[in-house]
Amino acid sequence: MQPETQARAGSGAAIAVRGLQVAYGGTRVLHGIDLDFAPGSFTALLGSSGCGKTTLLRSLSGFVPVEAGSIVVGGRDIAGLPPEKRGMAMVFQSYALWPHMTVLQNIGYGLKLRGRSKAEIAAKVGEMLSFLGLAGYENRKVTALSGGQRQRVALGRALAIDPGILLLDEPLSNLDAKIRMTMRHEIRAIQQRLGLTAVHVTHDREEAMTMADRLVIMQAGRIAQVGTPEEVYDRPASAFVANFMGAENVLPLSIARSGAQAAVAAGEARATLADAAAAALPSGEALGYFRDDVASLGALDAPAASGDLLVPGVIAARAYPGGIYRYKVEAAGRQITVDDAGRHELGTKVGLRIPLQRLHIFPATEAGIAA
Amino acid sequence: MSLSQRQLALLLIAPGLALVAALFLYPLFFSLVSAFTGPDGGFSLQSFGKAWELYSGDVVFTVVIVLASCFFTGLAAIVIAGTLTLGENRWIVGTLKALYRWPLFIPFIVAAQCMRTFLAKNGLMNNSFVSLGLIEPLQAVSFLDWRGIIATFVWKQTPFVALLLAGALAAIDRATLEAGRNLGASRIRVLIELALPQVMPTLLVALVLSFVTMLSVLSVPMMVAGSQPTMLTVDMAFRINAYGDYATANALGVITYLISAGAAIIYLRRGMAQEGAR
Repeated sequence: MQPETQARAGSGAAIAVRGLQVAYGGTRVLHGIDLDFAPGSFTALLGSSGCGKTTLLRSLSGFVPVEAGSIVVGGRDIAGLPPEKRGMAMVFQSYALWPHMTVLQNIGYGLKLRGRSKAEIAAKVGEMLSFLGLAGYENRKVTALSGGQRQRVALGRALAIDPGILLLDEPLSNLDAKIRMTMRHEIRAIQQRLGLTAVHVTHDREEAMTMADRLVIMQAGRIAQVGTPEEVYDRPASAFVANFMGAENVLPLSIARSGAQAAVAAGEARATLADAAAAALPSGEALGYFRDDVASLGALDAPAASGDLLVPGVIAARAYPGGIYRYKVEAAGRQITVDDAGRHELGTKVGLRIPLQRLHIFPATEAGIAA
Repeated sequence: MSLSQRQLALLLIAPGLALVAALFLYPLFFSLVSAFTGPDGGFSLQSFGKAWELYSGDVVFTVVIVLASCFFTGLAAIVIAGTLTLGENRWIVGTLKALYRWPLFIPFIVAAQCMRTFLAKNGLMNNSFVSLGLIEPLQAVSFLDWRGIIATFVWKQTPFVALLLAGALAAIDRATLEAGRNLGASRIRVLIELALPQVMPTLLVALVLSFVTMLSVLSVPMMVAGSQPTMLTVDMAFRINAYGDYATANALGVITYLISAGAAIIYLRRGMAQEGAR
């Protein structure tokens, strides 16, 4: 949790999810989820499509019936309550603004439901609009607004009822790249100012990393890993998480442990690790996962440091995404993507230098799914 | 001689056009002329005078019946389409979905016949009430009057309006309904305040079409009610069959046409107002 959040954590509510199971027509989608959301925290649910992240969010908001398990908010199990009784505000991917209403009516609707007077509603909406940088937009038709403005109105509509919990269902995926960046910061800043407990569903890794205090990586209806962005990125708990977090290169390894040392071999290339680094390694057949920026290209006969593997390879493709070159290198029977500053011609024989310390290594048996 | 594209197109649609002209436009024109022609063959409003003198009560009756039927049809269709869209009990939604369209496939005359046996003094409805102990046999009343006509129209037209309305409701972004519930609106409020305003144009089209349909039905008022007052269609049939009085019948036809044109104008005006507001 970040300092600003702690300072104003008063208004956010805690959520405790226990053994949550959800099924659609006999197909189990969530297999017993246990998860706690601290007051004022910003949690991103991250995963590929069909992993159950949206289902989890929709079961929190009450749009998906819960088969088993509990959702406790403020000491009360709300798993059986209809959506209108849960007091959580949600922002939808499609904005879901009501086209027959003005901006004022859209944002004020939740207050109208709570029986506030017209003057109160107008005052609160005015405050909300200036907060969102849309002052004076009260009487605009929502159909006349741009995508970014619409999403701000949708955010204002959710925030106007002073919710303790803010649910965000891919709210930025319909916006263009530039506005998306701005909205990321805006939503994060608003969440911190108000001290809300936010749950954000996204499939965009960078979005989750930049906005959230905590990531929940989901895989096939289960939680694969929970942790801060740094933890999940640097110390993935499984091959799936490593792969999902961008370590898409896979190198087959064979590891022999002897005492405090571990000898790692990838084809002809060999390297050794000692002490703590060696103790963390599995023994036998394994797969090493790493990102594009981990390996570097060098001469075949360059001397390798003891912790580096020097794998011979051939450059198969080259692209220039800007700043660096991106190569596809055929090595150890695999295609490996490598970012490198230097320009090399296709077909060149190179030495792929891979520091073992930066590999995420998992036993081949458990890693098979993501390879 | 070579034909231009335009001439060729006209030639191609000529048979269809001729058919429409011969079978529809000519009789329409003829009946209009006949409505405005006096016994001496000149222009006259005499037929209208006679029609108004004899049937002014029926004109009002017709308009009231059709408007009331439209109102109740709209209400029933909203309940059905709303349940189909927002219902959470799968059994109820499934059953309703399977059943509600059936009256669409039943002709008006069969519907009227069914209603006769259902709504009569010793009909199915009263018999059921008596056997349930809800009323005494002596209290049984026949509903075969204006109430019977409205009941038949509503029963027959509701599926049509509900079909269009349910289609329109299914097409709106579901998230807009979920957003309402998320903020604390009950399902009824979501239906009335958030869903219906988004499909109002469709509801209005369906009701205008129903209005015109009900205005032109002969079998239902004839079979269900029978006596005075009755609807204009029955009066027209009576003028022709009993007296061969085409002039008065045609005048009544023009009045019917004006009433349905009124509905069309209301509809068009609303449509234009909406376009203007956009």
